[in-house]
Amino acid sequence: MDFADTPEVARFRAGLRAWLAGHLDEYRHGTGYHSDAALAATLRWHRALAGAGYVAVSLPAEYGGRGLPDVYEAVINEELARAQAPAAPPIGHIAHAIADFAGDELKTRVLPGLLGCTSSWCQGFSEPGAGSDLASLTTTGRREGDEYVVDGQKIWTSGAMWADWCLLLLRTEADQPRHRGLSMLVVDMTSAGIERREITLANGSREFAEVFFDGVRVPAANLVGQAGIGWRIAMHMLTYERGPADMGWVGRLGHVLAAAVEDVRTGRCAADEPLRRRLVACAVNIDVLRWQVARSLVDRAGVAASVDKLLTTRIEQELFRVVGDLAGTGFVQGDDRFDEYLWSRAQSIYGGTQQIQRQIVAQRVLGLPRG
Amino acid sequence: MEIGLDQDQRAFAEVCAKLAAELATRWSPGRGPDDTSPAEPDEVAWSRIVAAGWLAIGLDEASVVDLTVLVEQLGYHTVPAPVIGTLLAAERLRLGGAGQDLLDAIGGGEVRVAPLLRRDLTDYAGTAADAVAWDSAGAEVTHSPDGTGHHLGDPLPGADLTRRTRAVGPAAGHLALTDPGTEDRLRLTALGLTLATADLLGVMRAALDDAVEHARNRTQFGAPIGSFQAVQQLAADCLVSVEASRSALFHSAWAADALPADEAVAAARTAKAFVAPAAVEVCETAIQLLGGIGMTWESRAHVRLRRAHASRALFGDEHHQLRHLTGRLLGENGR
Repeated sequence: MDFADTPEVARFRAGLRAWLAGHLDEYRHGTGYHSDAALAATLRWHRALAGAGYVAVSLPAEYGGRGLPDVYEAVINEELARAQAPAAPPIGHIAHAIADFAGDELKTRVLPGLLGCTSSWCQGFSEPGAGSDLASLTTTGRREGDEYVVDGQKIWTSGAMWADWCLLLLRTEADQPRHRGLSMLVVDMTSAGIERREITLANGSREFAEVFFDGVRVPAANLVGQAGIGWRIAMHMLTYERGPADMGWVGRLGHVLAAAVEDVRTGRCAADEPLRRRLVACAVNIDVLRWQVARSLVDRAGVAASVDKLLTTRIEQELFRVVGDLAGTGFVQGDDRFDEYLWSRAQSIYGGTQQIQRQIVAQRVLGLPRG
Repeated sequence: MEIGLDQDQRAFAEVCAKLAAELATRWSPGRGPDDTSPAEPDEVAWSRIVAAGWLAIGLDEASVVDLTVLVEQLGYHTVPAPVIGTLLAAERLRLGGAGQDLLDAIGGGEVRVAPLLRRDLTDYAGTAADAVAWDSAGAEVTHSPDGTGHHLGDPLPGADLTRRTRAVGPAAGHLALTDPGTEDRLRLTALGLTLATADLLGVMRAALDDAVEHARNRTQFGAPIGSFQAVQQLAADCLVSVEASRSALFHSAWAADALPADEAVAAARTAKAFVAPAAVEVCETAIQLLGGIGMTWESRAHVRLRRAHASRALFGDEHHQLRHLTGRLLGENGR
């Protein structure tokens, strides 16, 4: 049992800290997704991080990664959060889908841009009629010679407004049962027939979009692996979507907590005994979440994702309730954290709702029968 | 980073589980409160415990992680024998400089000791006044920090059916003990907290396993109740609590072995603050999932809920831990 870094990880962490100390100030300002200028600053940051060798390090070196275990990805996310740097580009799961399933030609063509962050990617999964029941999706790709003709609609596609490429989950095998009829295509977002419409969220965020496909022609060479394995690839991606990224999220929750603690500690924010107790309970929660995420990285592959998502939801939503309660009336009088609170309500919806995650845990982990 | 049990520890867990399950079959809640087996192990059970080396492992340089492996199984099977009490008493005596003969006799089950805790169970007691002998079924003696031995009085009323707390009786002899010093006193607290947390994890895990087993088999409306979403949602949330509690326990146990004493206590308090309410909630939810049968005296569900409450109180419940952590985190204004 050892929660401490191995000497190799400690060296890696120290190297990253040194790099951040030397470069972060140059890149940290003005990043975000709320304006063209902010987006440009964010992409510049992603390229700097990639150039320094801190993006998708768990991928094999031949594709531009460093062939390191997942724990290194977690260290990167943890250190970026610690330094209050903008987050790393969320591309690990897309990179793994392509690196682990695509043919050599496609890999050679798209991985350098993806890993070097010179091209921007989005992931087209959810549809208006296929949310929790993702496998019921109806966006179709009809094979015509050496092309697919794509028709349909995606929603909740983060980064779609500025993405150069989309990793698209769609139905290509009309005669197959629902899970086996799906495939994964790499789609050029500048193709004719694609229309994007921005979705503005309740907190003002403009990260999401709807994407419409109307007779979009995509080379069959852009198929990831074979036709019909789309669901398998999607499930593989989910195991990479959380894990290491969770460590960064824990770090960011830690900053929210630390700011609230500082407000109370200095007396800037008056908190009575019950509220102080709830704040400290949040600190306990975040410590436990950090240990859980660390353990998931090394101790339990597979079942971890849904359990960790449920735990994160529980802990994050309580934290923002406490932050709001500490702020008192000020919370509804122009407090920036109100938007963060609103975003915390999405935690139990995106990436598989709380209800669906519980069902996955009950059926796949606890072995309860399907209804 | 190597977060998990190693091969030896996993093998040890299996051996412990086997004997713990066997010991549990020797005990029954009976048909009602007047029919319950005593919390004191019979001679056969005690000799099996001694032979397994459970009473001596703390004295054999086992790590705290190793001890939690054993204690989790004691909790899982709600073992009615004062093993945790013996471990806590023996470690207190060892750090107080008790002679090797006595420690060997404790490890060999010949001298049965119990830890002297404050009446509110929040820590080891400083003196015999306002103190109790915790987990002392069958024990003969408990020691004050000054070395005074005490006979044990009658069992005090208590919710836990598988462990007994007893009053402290008149003095019985004296040992030459020294003050272990601040560092070791903190280590004792971290150990007590961590073993309580391990017991809680075992109890809550057993409660969930039992409830899930029931939900798979119990049929209503022509289907197993475990196929209903309302039941699945409750069970899934319990598993989240169990998994998070395991991570908290692992960290607490590792910290007790590897970190400076004050950090070890803070880690142990953090873990206990999380696991104590989680364990009680899982045991409560298990009763809900079992339905009426879970409310009967014959069911183990209340035996677990009782034990969870007792271990929650041991070295302080979550409110007690949060009070300590509040001071540490928020300072003066956080008072």
